[in-house]
Amino acid sequence: MKKTKLKELYKLKTYSNYILLAAALIVFTVLELSGGLRRSHAHLMAVIGFSVILAVSLNLVVGFLGELSLGHAGFMCVGAYIGGLLAKQLTASMGNQTLALIISMIAGGLAAALFGFIVGLPALRLKGDYLAIVTLAFGEIVRNLFKNLPWFGGAMGLSTESYGTKLFIIAFIVAIIMIALMQNLIHSKHGRAITAIRDNEIAARAMGINVTFYKLFVFVFAAFFAGIAGVIYSAYATPVLYSYFSFNYSIEILVMVVLGGMGSITGSILAAALISVLNFVLQSNLSGDLAALKYLVYALILMFVVIFGNAPALKPIRDKLNLHNLKVKIFALFRKKQDPDVVLSDSAGWDAIPTKIPMDSVLSTDVVPSESSTLSPDPRKEDSTDGK
Amino acid sequence: MKFTALKWISAVMILSVLVMCFAACGADTAEKTWKVGATGPLTGDASSYGISVKNGAQLAIDEINKAGGLEGYNFSFDMKDDQATADQAGSGYDTLYEAGMQVSIGSVTSGSCQAFGTKAAKDNLFFITPSASAQAVIETGTNAFRICFGDPDQGTLAAQQIKKDNYTNVGCIYDNSDPYSSGIFDAFKTEMEKQSMTFKVQTFDSENNKDFSSAVEALKDCDIIFCPFYYTEASLVAKACVAKGVNAVLFGCDGFDGINAMFTEADHITNKILYITPFDVNSTESKSAAFVAAYKAKYGADPDQFAADGYDAVYVIYTAMKAAGVKDINIKPSDLCNAIKGVILDKSFSYSGVTGTMTWDESGACTKTPIIVDLTK
Amino acid sequence: MSFTTIIDGLSLGAIYALIALGYTMVYGIAKMLNFAHGDIIMVGAYAIYSTLLLLDLPVLAIAVAVVVCIALGVVVEKLAYRPLRGASPLAVLITAIGVSYFLQSVAQLIFGAKSLPVSVMEPNTIHLGDFMTISVSTIITLAVGSAIMVGLTVFIKKSRIGRAMIAVSEDRSAAQLMGVNVNLIITLTFAIGSALAAVASLFYLMQIPSTSPTLGSMPGIKAFTAAVIGGIGSVPGAMLGGILLGLVEKICLSIEVIAPYTTAIEFSLLVLILMVRPTGILGKQIKEKV
Repeated sequence: MKKTKLKELYKLKTYSNYILLAAALIVFTVLELSGGLRRSHAHLMAVIGFSVILAVSLNLVVGFLGELSLGHAGFMCVGAYIGGLLAKQLTASMGNQTLALIISMIAGGLAAALFGFIVGLPALRLKGDYLAIVTLAFGEIVRNLFKNLPWFGGAMGLSTESYGTKLFIIAFIVAIIMIALMQNLIHSKHGRAITAIRDNEIAARAMGINVTFYKLFVFVFAAFFAGIAGVIYSAYATPVLYSYFSFNYSIEILVMVVLGGMGSITGSILAAALISVLNFVLQSNLSGDLAALKYLVYALILMFVVIFGNAPALKPIRDKLNLHNLKVKIFALFRKKQDPDVVLSDSAGWDAIPTKIPMDSVLSTDVVPSESSTLSPDPRKEDSTDGK
Repeated sequence: MKFTALKWISAVMILSVLVMCFAACGADTAEKTWKVGATGPLTGDASSYGISVKNGAQLAIDEINKAGGLEGYNFSFDMKDDQATADQAGSGYDTLYEAGMQVSIGSVTSGSCQAFGTKAAKDNLFFITPSASAQAVIETGTNAFRICFGDPDQGTLAAQQIKKDNYTNVGCIYDNSDPYSSGIFDAFKTEMEKQSMTFKVQTFDSENNKDFSSAVEALKDCDIIFCPFYYTEASLVAKACVAKGVNAVLFGCDGFDGINAMFTEADHITNKILYITPFDVNSTESKSAAFVAAYKAKYGADPDQFAADGYDAVYVIYTAMKAAGVKDINIKPSDLCNAIKGVILDKSFSYSGVTGTMTWDESGACTKTPIIVDLTK
Repeated sequence: MSFTTIIDGLSLGAIYALIALGYTMVYGIAKMLNFAHGDIIMVGAYAIYSTLLLLDLPVLAIAVAVVVCIALGVVVEKLAYRPLRGASPLAVLITAIGVSYFLQSVAQLIFGAKSLPVSVMEPNTIHLGDFMTISVSTIITLAVGSAIMVGLTVFIKKSRIGRAMIAVSEDRSAAQLMGVNVNLIITLTFAIGSALAAVASLFYLMQIPSTSPTLGSMPGIKAFTAAVIGGIGSVPGAMLGGILLGLVEKICLSIEVIAPYTTAIEFSLLVLILMVRPTGILGKQIKEKV
């Protein structure tokens, strides 16, 4: 009895990401089809959709492989230009826009994946911040090339076929497929190999893990989905302008990953939605003379959240507000009253006691047990994968 | 999986938007106005253009309201920030449309205005852009119009002017990252080739590089340098010319307007500066002079061509609505569009604004006479 | 490619080098990427602009800019970066980006979005023969830039504080144990980096005489690239990287066919150099311990 319940609980946690996205998808699709969804919110949902794809795919590189990438918008750029161009041609020749979009998503994704492979090559040799600057450089190179190559509209941008309000349905389906692939990957032996490389590359190599293969694989995988996000973007906004895919946008995707917590897929989904909604709310409410305040507010929120969430000195306050602790307490309450089967023999509710205390006090060095995690592969990191 | 305070916040934010989604639908604003909308860059690199248009348009709105508005209703104006990007212009359009926008002055920059126009075409919402000069903008629909010259016209005109003035050593600098500049340059190049004239080209990229010393160095033998870009960069070209001792004539387009404010006595600009423009800030013509004075009084600075175009755009809408006899404050954008179009496409209709006397044709392009301003002191 | 191109390139390189020094020192000592560094230059430029409006004294303007930038650098370090000491480097990076957005929007609120003209000095040129013209500002940039770089190198190598900086960058906890006040050293590093940024903003204005709220972002990224090319954390490396990048940029711009691809070429150069030397030209090789 007890065992099956725990197993169900585990299953629920594994599927929480799908449930989250599918629930949003169903609710909003019903709204859209019944005509109750405002156009701007349908478009906001599309933005959330491709932002989720971008953030979760970047999380695979930053959170799971442990390499900082500052050029994710570059992959998106490849997808947007190539997929956007193809979608336009295909729609003209086939007449079915959805099919054209799906085919060009695959093509745009593959093109971006090829670039991911090229960027993955230096990743084999470079470490940490040096790799970060190479990815940044890559993003700028791609942008510069697409601006100057003759087939993509130059400074005028590439005029694309816009898909309309139902785009978010496609974006969310892609996001769910990607997350399904990623969760299965992470929970497989390949996923453990990837996190092993993050935690200690040399040890991983010594264990016989093919580091070259996995690093390239992760870059190609992430680039593929960033490319698809780019194709979705090209169906969302026309014309596709090279200036959109700047370094600032790469940083914005990174902000989503860091705010959501590295190595947490649910976190990335929520943070991507949060940032998209925040941008939308700021844009629609701060217009005219107030627009200059937009970045001020954004910057203040960003700094507050990051400092509050990471400053070592504020840890006691964070622990007090921690939802996890709260949840444990609430669960303990319920269990005592309603379901005596689950309550363990210790009637004080052992799971309400933070068992980590002795370990933390043993580790009296400057190690901070962080909710997010560290940039450099830190062997002492305990927070591994999502949903575990 | 750990839950942090952040996830709390995000969950609350998303919920609040959901609530907004339903609650805002029923909300109705208290005061009824004619709603004019726009998007433009109000933050970021291009923000000075957006802010100028916003100021110019707001000034016109205030004047109209002071004079009693239209049919007893005031006009209201809202400009959303689009940072000169297509996607934010699109989402700005949606927000404005849902907030009841009836007519618009479009977007400020070409890329954004193309996105804006694509969406406006589906709703048949009339817009007349002050400054988005790319050809693609007015090609988005039959509801799209503009105040400014088109890019190709200016390039062609410039080439003809250079030919007419018998310059032989011609140079050109253009911004290959900017639609405005590239658009003019393409037409200029075509026309120069047609006239079988040769010229030297230098490019720059205003996003990455605003140092013109190498470009000026390369063109130091030219008699005239054609500069199809905005006054900020143009003033830097002039200063680079002084620093390099190059004394070529600087020849520009309507983007040059405002360049004078970028020079101080200490710069010792000796180059002859010419530009094609419909609007001259130093004009003594009564309408322009009154506009410049009112603008200065309100914002404490000289208006540039963007502000003048924004001012005219609002007045064109007002004049056309008045002429069409629009009475119903709750008029649908599409009906209003047809009414306005009926007026301004009429052969006898012309509007004399601060940027000259304008007429429009079916394509949405505006016909007005350019003047060539000589800034030589 | 003419001799003038090379002189222009050197002068641009000197500007990049000064900014890159700020990046590299902060990285070497505080172990963080200070993405708000470019915006310190912007603040410096506005400080120069405001001073020149009141009093037409370039020397006073640069003094004011240095003081303002140092104060800003120290305050930003105290309020935004110090609370995160010991937290993940990525959190610090994101905060730095927040600071960057913050400074840009404050500048826009105070000074408006329009570019403002700044004339630091009258444009004088020196003619060498018939084929060459060098502006005085270029010569000043080169001379003062080199002097500052030499001075900084001597300061770090010889002075007590400089050696303390090296100690902190090598091993922070060991330096603390040896009696080095780590907090003070980090604050000082930020102060020096910001002062260099103020000087860089003066040179920048001499080359490109206008300011805008987004002035700092591109030179910031270019200088960061320069710092990495030279080997981030290495002071001579930053100078070398800056000058190399400035030269490449000017040479590319002077050749018509490849000029539009200048940015791509600059960044490709970075990738190529890192492929050959993974820690930059003068960077320390990282030894991995098991």
